[in-house]
Amino acid sequence: MDFIIEFLPRIFDGFLVTIQVTFFGVIMGLALAIPLAIGDLYGGKIVSTIIKFYVEFFRGSALVAQLFIFYFSIPTLLNIRIDWFTVGLVAFTLNSAAYQKGYIKGAMESVYEDQMTAALSIGLSKVQAIIYVVLPQSLRIVIPAWSNEFCSLAKSTAALLTIGGKDLTAAGRTMASQTWRILESYTFIALIYFLWITTVMKALDILYNKVKIPGLEVSA
Amino acid sequence: MDPLSQLSFILWGVPTTLAISILSFLSGLALGIPLAFIRVYMGKPFQVMVDLYEKILRGVPEIVMMLLLYFGVGLALGLKPFDEAFFAVTFALGLRSGANQSQIFRGAIRGVGESQMIAARSLGLPTSQAIIHVMIPQTFIIATPGLGSEYALLIKDSAYAFILGVLETMKRTDILRMTTFDTVFPYFASAFIYILLTFPLATYLDMWGSRKRKELGL
Repeated sequence: MDFIIEFLPRIFDGFLVTIQVTFFGVIMGLALAIPLAIGDLYGGKIVSTIIKFYVEFFRGSALVAQLFIFYFSIPTLLNIRIDWFTVGLVAFTLNSAAYQKGYIKGAMESVYEDQMTAALSIGLSKVQAIIYVVLPQSLRIVIPAWSNEFCSLAKSTAALLTIGGKDLTAAGRTMASQTWRILESYTFIALIYFLWITTVMKALDILYNKVKIPGLEVSA
Repeated sequence: MDPLSQLSFILWGVPTTLAISILSFLSGLALGIPLAFIRVYMGKPFQVMVDLYEKILRGVPEIVMMLLLYFGVGLALGLKPFDEAFFAVTFALGLRSGANQSQIFRGAIRGVGESQMIAARSLGLPTSQAIIHVMIPQTFIIATPGLGSEYALLIKDSAYAFILGVLETMKRTDILRMTTFDTVFPYFASAFIYILLTFPLATYLDMWGSRKRKELGL
């Protein structure tokens, strides 16, 4: 156990990176996914085609390829330098937004029609109806899907190691290669991931049960 | 190197990418179906065990699982065949896919409905035969779109194999970058290859699934 204690500060730093990138990605991804979903639903043909291309690129290609594009290709094209942490923040946000757009659109569609008609009939404008009627309900229903997205994003942040990121997995690899306690090191890292991901998912589950509207669920 | 030979250099990795994703999909299937039926039709202790399996495999990053299996189990403990990177990767993804597919099939069993099971039992089929002849064929149809996106996920996740040095699409892309110093073309090319590998299949299975469901009234 000594070797774990010795490496704890390093693991803690890596853990902080993992948490930061995950939460930033999932929350900024949501902030980006909402306009994307609205654009796809109400924006007309051209807007929704552009959004489809965006989504297909990020959902269809391997995450590692996306990280490399942001780490190697884009800096070359724009003649700038970007460090791995910024690449992580940007790439995971854009990637997560592509997935979350689908969930939010699905949820909006499920509350959409009757509610929209009702909202318009009592004199709300379309924009008001989306903001005050459709979105608050959609965002509640989307929590379970959102929780899955959190889980897969939290796991994919381990890919930061491929662009030299110092996240939790990288800390585990350093620990494994320096102490030669390979099995123990990776098991310990796996345990940390498991514990924090399960805890957040449980919390989202509790939140979902607190805010859900009885009778209004997505039957996916 | 001209773009065409660069592209063909990357494309030589596609068979390995497909091998990893197909093999891990099949092992996930072999794990997922029994787990789903155990979870639904057997007692509480089995439920708890399946749930725990799913939670662990879904809560640990694929990369960490691969490193654990390859370096920890394969090289440190010397357990064969995990000392083979290809096998460690495929096995790690297969275990993860088993957890996902168990969830997909559990949802599909619920979709088929208890009434099918009751009808089969009332015709005198024992539970095991009712599962094999009545439930599994129907769950497959409902599960198809989910299985399609799971397979697409495996194709994308197989790119992590590059970390262990398996010569698949991503690794070849990286080699190309290091030999040609071209940081733009290889990565866009391989991103496009992954899209070509995932998109048509997932779309087709999605369409096939919804048509079949409509036909059968599921």
